[in-house]
Amino acid sequence: MIEFDSVSLALGSFRLRDVSLTIERGDYYFIVGPSGAGKTVLLEVIAGLHQPESGRVLLRGDEITALPPEKRGIALVYQDYSLFPNMRVIDNVAYGLRVQGTRKKEARAEVAPLLDRFGITHLADRYPGTLSGGEQQRVALARAVAVKPDILLLDEPLSALDPITQEKFIADLKRLHREDGLTIVQVSHSRREAHLLATRMAVIIGGSLVDEGKAGTVLNTPKSRDVAAFVGIENILDGTVTANEDGLATVDVDGLAFEAVTEAVLGEEVSLCIRADDVVITVGESHLSSARNTVVGTVISVVENGPIAEVKVDAGAPLTAVLTRRSVRDLALAPGTSVTLSVKATAIHVIRAFS
Amino acid sequence: MKTGTLPGGPLRGDGEVTPSWWSRRKKRYIDWCTIGFCILGGLLVGLTVLALASITVAELADPAHLLKVAASSRVIESILLTFGAGASAVLLLIIFGTPLAYILARSRPSRFKGVVESIIDIPLILPHTVAGLLVYLLFMRRGWLGAPLLEVGIAFEDALPGTIVAMLFVASPFYINSMREGFEKVPIHLENVARTLGAGTFTTFRTVSLPLSLRHMYSGALLAWGRAIGEFAGVIMIAYYPFIISTLIYYSFTTDGIHTSRSIAFTVIVVSFAVFYILRRMTRYLGRYDDRV
Repeated sequence: MIEFDSVSLALGSFRLRDVSLTIERGDYYFIVGPSGAGKTVLLEVIAGLHQPESGRVLLRGDEITALPPEKRGIALVYQDYSLFPNMRVIDNVAYGLRVQGTRKKEARAEVAPLLDRFGITHLADRYPGTLSGGEQQRVALARAVAVKPDILLLDEPLSALDPITQEKFIADLKRLHREDGLTIVQVSHSRREAHLLATRMAVIIGGSLVDEGKAGTVLNTPKSRDVAAFVGIENILDGTVTANEDGLATVDVDGLAFEAVTEAVLGEEVSLCIRADDVVITVGESHLSSARNTVVGTVISVVENGPIAEVKVDAGAPLTAVLTRRSVRDLALAPGTSVTLSVKATAIHVIRAFS
Repeated sequence: MKTGTLPGGPLRGDGEVTPSWWSRRKKRYIDWCTIGFCILGGLLVGLTVLALASITVAELADPAHLLKVAASSRVIESILLTFGAGASAVLLLIIFGTPLAYILARSRPSRFKGVVESIIDIPLILPHTVAGLLVYLLFMRRGWLGAPLLEVGIAFEDALPGTIVAMLFVASPFYINSMREGFEKVPIHLENVARTLGAGTFTTFRTVSLPLSLRHMYSGALLAWGRAIGEFAGVIMIAYYPFIISTLIYYSFTTDGIHTSRSIAFTVIVVSFAVFYILRRMTRYLGRYDDRV
């Protein structure tokens, strides 16, 4: 549906370098990356607010590189909501219809069901400055949806909301994607949001696209160490392959031997990615297990966060595990406790240094 | 001064002496910085007040003469002419200066932009006589613009168009700079959103950028108008006649003496103060939707 073909762009000191990606109809596409990576600029290029210096942008198969934003049928919601402060809520929502030639009364009548759907009917006559962040966000979303766009672009829509409002808003977004069949492109730096919403995603670092694909693939089997760190894989261990038998390699990490499935050859430098929830902790005598990797260590810290707890262990290399609080209690884990950690070889994603 | 016993606090026992006004006052924190600033600023305001008081006392000593001068047709006509010419100059500034201010606000910094900005500010830094001379040279009967425009029937020398164009020249930086500042304060995201909702560049300007800059437009127009109606040297070079108010005061001073020119000046002060005060009051709420946005 949207295709970037080697798009490059310079804005001041910032550069977007040779970005190629494809967003299909019906995708909930996430663009993630650290601050200043160029995510918002990429979104604005899709919207037509910046013209690339080189490369092509295609929409529904047609080249739209030079098509102005008002002719693209792509709506944009900014992180700061960007509601027109000189217009009442209802006129903000009706703005798109008004500029496309609908009379004021008809436009207001047409958007009334939308106000109802987003639960903002009671705010219709208020000015944006008097609304809370969550209310402003819903108005901004209603305004964008009112023009019936094919594609909705969202620039970090959840970052300024409190946790409860975030949950409500995530439900709204899911409904928009499923029921309205909208293609949504969302910029975010939150792995959690990507987990909850994304079907496909791209990772942008320093103006370059470093990974792209199905959300689960990018999140669980990242292509590079940078991407792994960015998508929040808790344990990234650098090591050297010391043996490889039929794809089951032994990797030496600071004297610890890990077994993992990889084609990496003897002597190759690799990074092992282990999700914290794939690390199993046992205390006392070890039980027989199918897990190929077991290491012994000492608990450094236990940080509880709601129903779960993050346990950091020094096992020669630092390792993090995520457990339920009940497990922490049952195992009586505390700093200083001796524990055994086990990880299945298949749960380790291996990144080859020169892949 | 009230000296009765204050209601007893937890630390004050019966029969304890109430602290004096002075001792209580001494304990208060005194912000010398704010006081110093007030004194310095007060001196400046005091100068204007003193000047106004001096002319007011002198004029009110002979109210009959003041009324006679104020009600004379040449003074009334001159005031109306000056205000009208100033308003015409501001209207032209709004038509031509608003688009320029918008382009300056939205264009990226460049050497060319710097040159344009410096050209706009030239009337600010030039002596007014030089500004007058520039206008004269361009719009005189044999001037680059004056000659062809005379052929189509628009004369500038000693004519109202000359007054207006001189006012336009000296007042333009005030309007353009204020308007540009207003446009710069409109977040670019608002314009971007309007574009993605289907508004073209001009519709976005008309429905978003301009309404959100109205306050700056009004304030810039008011400043420019004030500057225009106060102009003297810039105007007399090209249009000594018809008499705008400053020319009339100068003429009266050189022919009738201080008494009459002072009465005209006092009339102008009262009228200008009233007009500007009313215009400022009218716009207290203009363009203020909510400061939190």
